Amino acid sequence: MTERKTTHFGYQQVPVEEKAGRVADVFHSVAARYDVMNDLMSGGIHRLWKRFTIELSAARPGQTILDIAGGTGDLTARFSRIVGPTGKVVLADINASMLKVGRDRLLDRGIAGNVETVQADAQYLPFPDNTFDCITIAFGLRNVTDKDLALRSMLRVLKPGGRLLVLEFSKPESKLLEKVYDQYSFRLLPFMGKLVADDADSYRYLAESIRMHPDQETLKGMMSEAGFVDCEFHNMTGGIVALHKGIKP
Amino acid sequence: MTDPTFRAGFDATLETAINTALRYDPGSRQRLARLAGKVLAVNLTAPTLSLFLVIDDEDGEEGGYIEVHSRWSGEVTTELSGSALAFIQLLRNRDATPAKLGVTVRGSSALLAELQSILRDLDIDWEEPLAKLIGDSPAHQLGTGVRLAASWLKDALGAAPRATAEAVSEEWRMTPPQAQFEAFAEDVAAFAQGVDRLEARLALLKSKLDARGKN
Repeated sequence: MTERKTTHFGYQQVPVEEKAGRVADVFHSVAARYDVMNDLMSGGIHRLWKRFTIELSAARPGQTILDIAGGTGDLTARFSRIVGPTGKVVLADINASMLKVGRDRLLDRGIAGNVETVQADAQYLPFPDNTFDCITIAFGLRNVTDKDLALRSMLRVLKPGGRLLVLEFSKPESKLLEKVYDQYSFRLLPFMGKLVADDADSYRYLAESIRMHPDQETLKGMMSEAGFVDCEFHNMTGGIVALHKGIKP
Repeated sequence: MTDPTFRAGFDATLETAINTALRYDPGSRQRLARLAGKVLAVNLTAPTLSLFLVIDDEDGEEGGYIEVHSRWSGEVTTELSGSALAFIQLLRNRDATPAKLGVTVRGSSALLAELQSILRDLDIDWEEPLAKLIGDSPAHQLGTGVRLAASWLKDALGAAPRATAEAVSEEWRMTPPQAQFEAFAEDVAAFAQGVDRLEARLALLKSKLDARGKN
């Protein structure tokens, strides 16, 4: 009998082919209240993390930018203004519900013309080689089944000299902060999920998936392994979140 | 290195404060919109801090707004370098010039002049946001009260340093009166000039003596 390959879904082990579907269910469930919950869970700090991501992107007018797992379009909106009418921003997400919420929100804010929305899997990006000047993936990589495959796919569609920015939850630098953060994630977070979105399980998955995600040094190593150069990371809010940067040679 | 979250928070707060103030002065926003695309880099030397003010006009609303960035890889229209104190003076004092205050200017000085002019003419209608909260009439009453209080406070604060200085020198005799100090300073300057002249004469005399010795 052949053993089925498994991967983690939070703290559970699930068959590889099932993970994407399960992650999709989580995000279908939280899409409508994703922004409210993000603000509530992070105390609004996620906006500052994204702001620093924009700063490090060095985006300029006329550039082409891919915002993977762009969710409700926070980064896309800001990039759209920076690249201007001569540039282009592609908002990509594997999840149709999240993409729909994002597209509607951008339209409501009058952001159109230089923005495209594409339902795409980060592991198999449907774009030609050397297309983008910059790729961002904010709070999305930990939900991808095969992260190495996704990193190689991103490398392929980046232009030489283009930069990848991975904004993701990571490992707190201090033990004390880690303890406080654990209590918050496993006690308060599912409770808030239940209260606001009536969905404790999805938010429990979010907390577990953060713990299963590679720490700062491991992810940096994975990016180098995929072919990126000048890889570095910036810890934010004591390492609760890290922003990794890599350049396509 | 400082946690980037703090810097991002500082930039976001500054940006919100500037644009909230601008929202209640449509005239300044219109003037700012004409500067869209221009970038002002500010390098503070004490404390050390660099920020980029990017002027834009595509906010979906009328008029311009300002984005604050900690990094900027595009073109910079004007770059200013100097201490925070010098910048505050530059913003407050109508007659202040960058050169007088030790502020270095690189690039176009026209942008700086226009921004200074906008800042000095800034007339924020604080009653408008208040009126939205509490209604037109109470907002006007409150606004009048606040303006009176602000005017009194400005006069009081303006007079305070003068009154304190007088008390320190005249009443408590802790420092000499200004006239006495100025006379003393003039005497010192005259004495210093006298010493300089004497030094020059001695040098001349010495060189003459040396020349005579050689002959």
